[in-house]
Amino acid sequence: MPANYEITKSWADEVEDEGSITLPPPTVVYENDFKIMTEYKLNDDNKKVKVVRTYKIERRTVSKTIAVRKNWSKYGDSLDDGPGPNPATTVIAEDVFMQFLSSKEEENKVEEDSLDKLKSMGDKGVVKCRNCNGEHWTSKCPFKDTVLGGLPDDKKLSINPTAGVPGMGDMNKPQGSKYIPPSMRDGGNKRGDSMLMQRRDDTTAIRISNLSENTTDTDLEELVKKFGAIHKFYLAKEKNTNVCKGFAYVHYKTKEDAARAINGLHGHGYDYLILSVDWSKPPAQNN
Amino acid sequence: MKPLMLHGHERAITKIKYNREGDLLFSASKDKQPNVWYSLNGERLGTFNGHNGSVWCIDVNWDTTRFLSGSGDNTLRIWDCQTGKAISQLSTNSSVRACSFSYSGDLAVYATDKALGHQCEMFVIDIRSPEIILSQEDNICRTLISGSRISSLLWGALDETVITGHENGDINIWDSRTGKKLNDAQGHKGQINDMQFNKDGTMFVTASKDHTAKLFDSDSLMSLKTYKTERPVNSATISPNYDHVVVGGGQDAMDVTTTSTKQGKFDARFFHLVFEEEFARLKGHFGPINSLAFHPNGRTLCTGGEDGYIRINAFDQSYFDFHFEY
Repeated sequence: MPANYEITKSWADEVEDEGSITLPPPTVVYENDFKIMTEYKLNDDNKKVKVVRTYKIERRTVSKTIAVRKNWSKYGDSLDDGPGPNPATTVIAEDVFMQFLSSKEEENKVEEDSLDKLKSMGDKGVVKCRNCNGEHWTSKCPFKDTVLGGLPDDKKLSINPTAGVPGMGDMNKPQGSKYIPPSMRDGGNKRGDSMLMQRRDDTTAIRISNLSENTTDTDLEELVKKFGAIHKFYLAKEKNTNVCKGFAYVHYKTKEDAARAINGLHGHGYDYLILSVDWSKPPAQNN
Repeated sequence: MKPLMLHGHERAITKIKYNREGDLLFSASKDKQPNVWYSLNGERLGTFNGHNGSVWCIDVNWDTTRFLSGSGDNTLRIWDCQTGKAISQLSTNSSVRACSFSYSGDLAVYATDKALGHQCEMFVIDIRSPEIILSQEDNICRTLISGSRISSLLWGALDETVITGHENGDINIWDSRTGKKLNDAQGHKGQINDMQFNKDGTMFVTASKDHTAKLFDSDSLMSLKTYKTERPVNSATISPNYDHVVVGGGQDAMDVTTTSTKQGKFDARFFHLVFEEEFARLKGHFGPINSLAFHPNGRTLCTGGEDGYIRINAFDQSYFDFHFEY
């Protein structure tokens, strides 16, 4: 009767005979489909520690041969093990997740594409000297200090009045020395696309602030993954101490999931603080 | 997923193997005792005590009555799966590197190391009613392997042939009755560490030190696919129900201390069988993976590592939901 045992012994008695702490015997309780093992042991500081392990008992239908094997008695070094896994040899490890690579690879490919484009453009001569129209930077022009240098100046004068009148028409045919806004340049389109992509990405991003400083990556993942598939997330941490700075960004795969996460988490208490969750706003988009 | 971590071995795992139904998992390590586990809950059924050296190779017959183990103590032992008692013990001249039951369970094949002044040899033995003490002379077919030693072997179709993988990367097929070489191929540039069949035995995947795993036709030995990594591959296995190949490896044991687990070199890597493209990774071990095995139902992957742990990874739904885009 373990219950009686506990009652008869008062805490004062325990303090008195501290030198020889008697540990209650381990117990095993079966409670509707759960096996609960309770064990007492001393830790490093010589304090009594109660260890409770709960196992779920599952029933499975298997073929006869497997059922027979399930009832084999243990042998070798496991001869003395009771039924069920021995905690000394079988441990349940930390949660791990499979990392799927496909999406990441696609992103890389897009980057490589634009890089390749730039490279190939380099061969055709993106660089053009304003002085002599040679394929080098203006500052590196060999004719910088010669008469040739003055020629384009004259040209500029003649071009300027014509450019000023039609305005729009000229924009479509960019010419040698004229300044072209980056978005209008060859290959600039590609850039623009990728920028747009990034902005679209941000629409599925949310910012979570007022996180407690004990929050870890796994905590955050646990918290946010139930609202939908996550594209990526970032938990701001102090560089040296690795302690959470109190805010995080989460990118969901879809906007709906992100919206649900905001509704579900905003004002929700988490680890003694109340979370504040809103759409993530990129710093450049202030106006 | 929450993997089960089995810690029954003191040293690096050398080989893990499921039985045919997949309810039992056998494991061998560089310590002296092969273990057997219930794969469902990770409970240890027992250990096979008796060897005096590292156990390099293990196998279990198709009805899970007998267990075979070859060791560095120059013995090959046959055990009873139910009681863990040794049925017979065969002494060899050098350590036993590879062993396997034939599908019928009547025959077994084993290969010895090239060491101690002895050549590498391959023996086919009849094990229907073995004596308690056997010697190398008790064999049906004895084949002297000149040149590079055998590092891995498999029984071919209908127990008629034996496929061997060698230290220099060669793959040979031998007639199991006459010991004549039927076919050969230069499969790899480095040692073949592991060979595993697909579900129907028409193809097998090899894992090699030359940083690749390759898929071969079991009959013609034609190289069908190559899965490239940037580290030595210790083991590779084919999923029984998807077109997936899982590859595990890492550095040589001597280089391990210089590597952080964060670099992801110790992950199990999932390749698409046909497109040879990596699509997923699974973390877990603190050292190279030495052996990989799929549960026969394909829903669980088991890995054994140089760190001495065996991990049973029951896949999450995300694995089954994943579709390779092409």
